Amino acid sequence: KETIVSRCAASCPTQSGSSAAGLNCHLTCSSCLYPTEKHLVLLRDGRTLIGYLRSIDQFANLVFHQTVERIHVGKKFGDIPRGIFIVRGENVVLLGEIDMDKPCDTVLQQVSIEEILEEQRLQQQAKQETEKVKMQVLKDRGLSIPKADNLDEY
Amino acid sequence: MFRFQSLDEDCMLEEEDDGLIEDEDEIDQFNDDTFGAGAIDDDWQEEHKRLAELDERDELGAGLGFGGGGMGGDSDLSTSERPSSTRIPSSVVHPPPPSSLASLSFSSSSSRLPPSDVEDRVGEGDLAESLARLILDADPAIAGVGAAERPGLPPGSSGSGLSGLRGLDQPRVLPQPSPILPPTQPHQHPQHQLPPGLPASGLPPSSMLSYQQQQHLLRRGTAPMGQMSSHSIWENSMGFGPVSVAPGLLTHMEDNPLMSIIKEVGHPKRAPQGRNDEDLSERAPPPRSSSPVIGSPPVRAVPIGTPPKQPMSHALNHQIHHPTAVHVRAPVQHRYPAPFPERLSPNTLLNIANSPLCRGPFPPRVGPVLSQIQRAQLLNSQVAGFPRGGPPPLLPGGGGFRPFFGGPPPPHGHRMGPPPPHGPPNHAPPLRHNTTHLHPQHRRMLTQRMQSRGGDRRPGMDRRSRDPYSNLMTQKEKEWVTKIQMMQLQSTDPYLDDYYYQNYYEKMEKRQEKERDSSKKEHTTKLITPQVAKVEHTYRPVQFAGSLGKLTVSSVNNPRKMIDAVVTTRSDDEEKREKQVWNKRRQILYTVEKMYSLLLEVQDFEKCFVQAPEEDREALLEQHKSNTEQLCSSLREKEWDDRVSDEQCVMIMSVRKGKRLISRLLPFLPSMQAAAVVMAIARNLPALAKKDKQDQVLCWLVEPVSAVIQSLSSASLTDLLQELQGSEGQLATVLHNKFGVTLLYVILSEGERMQSSDPNCQLMDDNRWTELVFSVTRELLSVPSSSLSPPLFTPPNLLSLFSRYVDRQRLELLQDKLQISALSR
Repeated sequence: KETIVSRCAASCPTQSGSSAAGLNCHLTCSSCLYPTEKHLVLLRDGRTLIGYLRSIDQFANLVFHQTVERIHVGKKFGDIPRGIFIVRGENVVLLGEIDMDKPCDTVLQQVSIEEILEEQRLQQQAKQETEKVKMQVLKDRGLSIPKADNLDEY
Repeated sequence: MFRFQSLDEDCMLEEEDDGLIEDEDEIDQFNDDTFGAGAIDDDWQEEHKRLAELDERDELGAGLGFGGGGMGGDSDLSTSERPSSTRIPSSVVHPPPPSSLASLSFSSSSSRLPPSDVEDRVGEGDLAESLARLILDADPAIAGVGAAERPGLPPGSSGSGLSGLRGLDQPRVLPQPSPILPPTQPHQHPQHQLPPGLPASGLPPSSMLSYQQQQHLLRRGTAPMGQMSSHSIWENSMGFGPVSVAPGLLTHMEDNPLMSIIKEVGHPKRAPQGRNDEDLSERAPPPRSSSPVIGSPPVRAVPIGTPPKQPMSHALNHQIHHPTAVHVRAPVQHRYPAPFPERLSPNTLLNIANSPLCRGPFPPRVGPVLSQIQRAQLLNSQVAGFPRGGPPPLLPGGGGFRPFFGGPPPPHGHRMGPPPPHGPPNHAPPLRHNTTHLHPQHRRMLTQRMQSRGGDRRPGMDRRSRDPYSNLMTQKEKEWVTKIQMMQLQSTDPYLDDYYYQNYYEKMEKRQEKERDSSKKEHTTKLITPQVAKVEHTYRPVQFAGSLGKLTVSSVNNPRKMIDAVVTTRSDDEEKREKQVWNKRRQILYTVEKMYSLLLEVQDFEKCFVQAPEEDREALLEQHKSNTEQLCSSLREKEWDDRVSDEQCVMIMSVRKGKRLISRLLPFLPSMQAAAVVMAIARNLPALAKKDKQDQVLCWLVEPVSAVIQSLSSASLTDLLQELQGSEGQLATVLHNKFGVTLLYVILSEGERMQSSDPNCQLMDDNRWTELVFSVTRELLSVPSSSLSPPLFTPPNLLSLFSRYVDRQRLELLQDKLQISALSR
């Protein structure tokens, strides 16, 4: 179990973001040198990948080695080994280093892959149910909540 | 068997290669009659002339068998070492010579070995050379192809190797080859991408190797020659290009007529030397196809992802730890018939590099082309070697490799200090970044982190050494990426570009100041971000010297219009109507946007004011006033300049963003206008509620509106309540809507507050208020509970209000319905 150090920075080279981004790129690039440092990346679709960051480019396209996808459900988490990942830069939300040496005092509990996938499925199901009920209620009242991506103003 | 092209070469090149190779297939390359001793293809007079020249030049010690002796017919290029190089530019700048000539002229400049070498072989090589030259002259395509083939190797190798070239003070030919040559030979660009090994190797071997060593190398070269004949000449040319001792190896090629061609063809590559790898990669593409600011990505010798040729880790380790134990001949021999001859294994390189050359000043350009994995492994084993205290002989060899891997990179103007992370024995000294543009606090934090990381390094070092995939990115590449990212941080307006960063650090500072004693007050550290001078990139049509007219070279960095698009308007009636609708909406959105930017400026005014120096404050104030004025006027009617336009307000609020805008704008409006806006809202509430069905964001307005209401006079309040009730059935609609209900409650509560706090209040002066409240209560009681929308919040004093106006029974009913608890009194 590793603890995530507060070294994460939004790595979005397409925007002129915080000055921290540039410097953390230095760190990230230099930590490409240090293979013992694992990196954690959060993608736009919500996935969390952990692995050795081998390469990065100006679009924040990432090459991950010995990647593990970590699924969190409640207090449990499970790791699915995925091999080599190439992540397109636009899908990256956060990228940070994991400090292996820091003491880990998390309450999270690791479970097997099957179990975590099952938990995830249950969670998705519950969410869908509530969503369905909500929509039904609204429909009865003649209202509808539009999906965010249909808005045309921004 | 195909070439590896560097990433930023024209695709054209590949096609051309293909075509040319195919042409060649028809000619039997290995037939002696075609190329070798039997081929007498040309006019004997010309040949004689050439031979004569050859003799002359050879006597001058033209140089290596690279065909340096007397390539091409240009007698200007008599080759003593230095002068030749300086003469080349002038000769080339003249009306472009035929391609072969150009290539050959380069080669002659690059010949460097002492005359003694040449004389050794002059006799042998003469005939073969001259014949080969004949053919080359006659058929420019061959030379062209040969030259063109070169690039496959080089760029990457040049990348890493050239950095080590820094030490050389060899005059570099053609610092900018592209403007000089490209016009007639666009396809020849690649020929400038020299394997650094080749040009570089020209000088060092001569200066650093003793004659015996050179001979040793030369003799070594003969062995594999026999095997070479089985490959196409093109392959072989590649194979020997980049190797630093290639000259030595190549010198024996004249035995085989094929090789002589290679020698000649191979040389052009040497000319542009000692350049930055970045420049090298920029030489190939036409002008302005690489960004003037960013440059091109560092070029790799082989494309990323090329599979490594052989497993070499064990051999490597062996090599590194026992450099002197290497037997040179055997390994070298095995390597040559390899399928990818342009990439010698690190083994070979080490053999070559370490044994004879190890002790002397190390020629930095060992060689070029390792695949990523191989390079990474070398790096790793180097790294691993150090802490384990490798044997002293290790160090010179290892140290020599450092430039190979792109260490001490060229100091970039504004950025990094020399950071060879693998240079020093321990990796603790971190990369020194340019942090001047960062907030001082940020800088402090970063240095702390770096130090702590440096401390952590030691225990992890062993682990690192075992990972074969680390260091896949070269230092150059990392620098290039960070360079781009740092460029993005330069901004002329930090508040605009990096708002959150600036604010965050400001808040942190304020917090710290509070905690600290005010006695030790430090001056507020100002954040100075690097200012970028806005460079005007005016378009100048790209011109190639010697071409007719202006050729269009289009690339990412200078895009050109390709299609003339004509705008046609469709005159359909229906279309028009639709368009009108859209236009109106667009108009609204446009207005909203403009108002928003004004609003943002107004909101930021205070902050800017505080930050600005004294002189600027006046101007800021003026600006602020005008902004506010503009905002107000935008809400007003077109005809009457002093009244808030209902229509305009409603229009703005039909859009989600507009509602947000109004909610943010209200606090900044003068009270009269704000009241007018609120009136307008109340008046048009049903319409607004309808339009808000999709967005459901009217409730954003609650807060600012309540703030306004609280500042209203009693008369206005009554007016407002009246507006809210407005027409028949309006109240019902109002009650149906959450915002409406909330608004109503707020009004009532405000009225109650007024009454209870100030006995002299004028609310009761006329009966309007009472009547209105009565009607409200009536409505509230009559409306079914289900259609009564729950408010955002229920003001506590409603009960007391109602208790004034209604009897107990009704009061209780109201209580239940509205769920106002008695306790909230």
